[in-house]
Amino acid sequence: MARYVLKRLAIAPLLLIGIVTIAFLISRLIPADPLVSIVGERNMGNPTVVAAAEQQWGLDKSLPAQYATYMGNLAQGDFGTSFRTKSSVWDDLTERLPATAELTLAALLFGVVAGIGLGVVAAVKRDRAPDHVARLFALTGSSIPVFWLGLILLFVFYARLGWLPGPGRLPPRTDPPAHMTGLYTIDSLAAGNFSLFWECSKRLIMPAFVLGWGLTGIVSRLIRASMLDELYADYVRTARAKGLTERSVMIRHVLRNALMPTITIVGLSFGALLTGAVLTETIFSWNGIGSYAVEATRTLDYPAINGVCILGGAIFILTSLATDVLYAVADPKIRLS
Amino acid sequence: MTDFGNAAHSSRPARRSRRPLSGAVAALCAFSLIAAACGSDTDSGGSTPAGDTAADGTTGAATGDSGSGGDARELIIARDMDLQTLDPQRAYCDTCQIFLTAVYETLIGIDPNDPNVQVPRLATDWVVNDDNTEFTFNLDPAAVFADGTPVTSADVKWSWERLANIEGPASYLMSGYTAIDTPDDQTVIVTFENPNSAFLPIVSASYLGIVNSKIAEAEGGAIAAPGAVTDDQAEQWFLSNSAGSGPYTLTSYTDGDSLVLTRNENYWGTTPATFPKVTMKQVQDSTAQLQQLQAGDVDIAMQISVDSMSQLEGDPNIVSATVDSYNYVYIALSPGAVGAEGLADDNVRQAIRLALDYDGILDVTVAGAGKKQASPIPNGFIGSADLALPEQNLEEAKALMAASDFPDGFTVNAMYPTVNVYGVDFDTMMQKVQQDLKEIGVELELQPVEFPQWIDQINAEGIPVTAVYFAPDHTDSSQYVQYFGSVDGSSWASRAGGGDAGAPIIDPNENDLLAQALAAAGDAKTALYTELGQSMMDANIIVPLVNSQLVQAYAADITNMHNSACCNLELNLLGLK
Repeated sequence: MARYVLKRLAIAPLLLIGIVTIAFLISRLIPADPLVSIVGERNMGNPTVVAAAEQQWGLDKSLPAQYATYMGNLAQGDFGTSFRTKSSVWDDLTERLPATAELTLAALLFGVVAGIGLGVVAAVKRDRAPDHVARLFALTGSSIPVFWLGLILLFVFYARLGWLPGPGRLPPRTDPPAHMTGLYTIDSLAAGNFSLFWECSKRLIMPAFVLGWGLTGIVSRLIRASMLDELYADYVRTARAKGLTERSVMIRHVLRNALMPTITIVGLSFGALLTGAVLTETIFSWNGIGSYAVEATRTLDYPAINGVCILGGAIFILTSLATDVLYAVADPKIRLS
Repeated sequence: MTDFGNAAHSSRPARRSRRPLSGAVAALCAFSLIAAACGSDTDSGGSTPAGDTAADGTTGAATGDSGSGGDARELIIARDMDLQTLDPQRAYCDTCQIFLTAVYETLIGIDPNDPNVQVPRLATDWVVNDDNTEFTFNLDPAAVFADGTPVTSADVKWSWERLANIEGPASYLMSGYTAIDTPDDQTVIVTFENPNSAFLPIVSASYLGIVNSKIAEAEGGAIAAPGAVTDDQAEQWFLSNSAGSGPYTLTSYTDGDSLVLTRNENYWGTTPATFPKVTMKQVQDSTAQLQQLQAGDVDIAMQISVDSMSQLEGDPNIVSATVDSYNYVYIALSPGAVGAEGLADDNVRQAIRLALDYDGILDVTVAGAGKKQASPIPNGFIGSADLALPEQNLEEAKALMAASDFPDGFTVNAMYPTVNVYGVDFDTMMQKVQQDLKEIGVELELQPVEFPQWIDQINAEGIPVTAVYFAPDHTDSSQYVQYFGSVDGSSWASRAGGGDAGAPIIDPNENDLLAQALAAAGDAKTALYTELGQSMMDANIIVPLVNSQLVQAYAADITNMHNSACCNLELNLLGLK
């Protein structure tokens, strides 16, 4: 197993180089000049300013030279400086990643817990009302547009009913907890500030629901299908013949085996949720990687675009590796080589 | 940094509206959410009032007592911020104007109620010579920066020279000056090669705010000398530091999240800030801004759409109104652009102007909450009052097309940036324009693109028909002629002529008129700008469509809300009942 992990980790840099190269080339194929966002519309006609900006940001070099410089800097851990924020891209990413990670983890938690619950109910009550309700819930979650759902939830539960807090990670007029992880729920708990923990947790409910509902649908359908496959297996019949309660058969035997495919989905979904929270972050004023990526793309901020791609690629590679390892740990029949 | 958490602040009570909902929708959504929250406590007893979080590290206290004595609360403003830098000489955006005005004072201010009235700020008085080439300012000896050091003429010279030499987007405001002399600590003399009657209004622009040069040089490494365009590296420093004399200082800026300002307790002026802290929150969506205002989470929502205003009617805790602005949206017809042969005919451009349904465009784009505008000089600026507002005249437009070289019409490209500014959605507006021009046989091929791509195209070879927007940088009408007119150095003279691939469209008469206007004063100046406005109208290159109104929506206990032509919103003028 260790050898397998090391081998996968050794390949990871090559994959990242491929991702960076593709991102680098694609962003430069767009027929627009990033200098507009650097020097401003009015100065685009000023050759002195344009030349100075090109020199400062290395845009006066040929494409291969720009690529070589970028990769050379990257090898030394320098992600470059954002055209837009004028800060180190690494600093920008690390500042925003905790916000996205907190949202993603909450969405994942909701998606998995609710998905498994619904899947079990759907399998046990196959073709009866609970199964149909679970199917409807799954289908709705998978097909409803995120921006619409987010706006509706805000309108109903925040603006009208006032049951849940509005956009943003913190209540108004509130300072963030002392920085430890950047995840406000964790940091506020670590600081012993339980009321702030509660406030921050409440603010996660709507965006996590919006982001995680789609995953709930996928997980519930997968669990249902897997459980139905397992329900008629020999070992289940044997377990029942031994006199185990139906609850015990379902939880300890059927569900345990049915969970295996879910590990793959959850692992891949984590990466997808982490990098795909663009709309959710925008609607809920969540200052994370998604909104950073949108602004970077809108202003052709090459270093930031590449930084987001590297981060996204690294997350996918690591979560995919973690999924494979977890699979092997969970199922002794699987041998990684 | 002041610890507001321990201060006794008044706080505005939450303004949650609890109107009955359509039962089915509420029930369905409630069921979903409660399930999602896995039993989380959905406290139907009430929302979290603004600032009542009794958590450690929270700021503000929820007494529900709006300003009844004691210090004011923290002011929270919801805004889709367009900040890219906080460097006072590099900044150039609407939000920049608010920030710069709060932190970096100018020598002269503008009366928020009248853009043509100048008021003293750092300068107690000023003198202009007869031919508008020499401007002498006397600084207030009491003026000090936030660190307590005096504001001197050397700081003014340094700030304005840095603005010029850094060649940023606002550097054009200093174009034409030949010297800035400082005979003593309180006197600044600026000399121009040619008359420049626009300079006093320009001095009131937020981009000409004064920086504490010693701090900026020593701590930020800022450079004002020629060569600053390549050598100055202070932009990063200005992201977390400020060095001005304004009523606020910068506390923090987090890109995509918030801009936090703290009251300058050393402020020397006569209108110190009421609010001890101002947080401008990044809220991109106008609906979210509205909801947060209704809930009491923010005090001011700056970009609420006109359509949403009805939702605020009857709410006693919120004031909402539309006010006139100087911002507008226009279409531009570029006869020199590649593929714009049809537009080279004066009759065609005139026909296009007459074919547009201006009232319909106002209705479609801003639900009527806007005004028609005659020329590129907007309503309220000198030179705009006596010009005839545009009206649709289809008969005359068709007659002009028949008399043109293109009696059967033609098809032409209309690339435009996909933006929504001043409440105007460009997609909607351009579809209406397309529909109107079809009446005279001009078929627009609409091509929405992102802004950087649009800029690339307009500068490279022009765009036959396009749509853009404009907001003033200062309060003098010259900026409109210099940007839109057929004069030397004008952006649109070049673009309309086909950008880099063509030649600028220059009208010598407009050049002469502008030179005269910059040397004139009083009624003569007004008459000259009126003539320039008419000339730009006759050229039919820039056709203003919507002079939009701004929606002001804010907590009812906020006083003195305003819209300033130079500065957008002057935070220190805001008060609390």
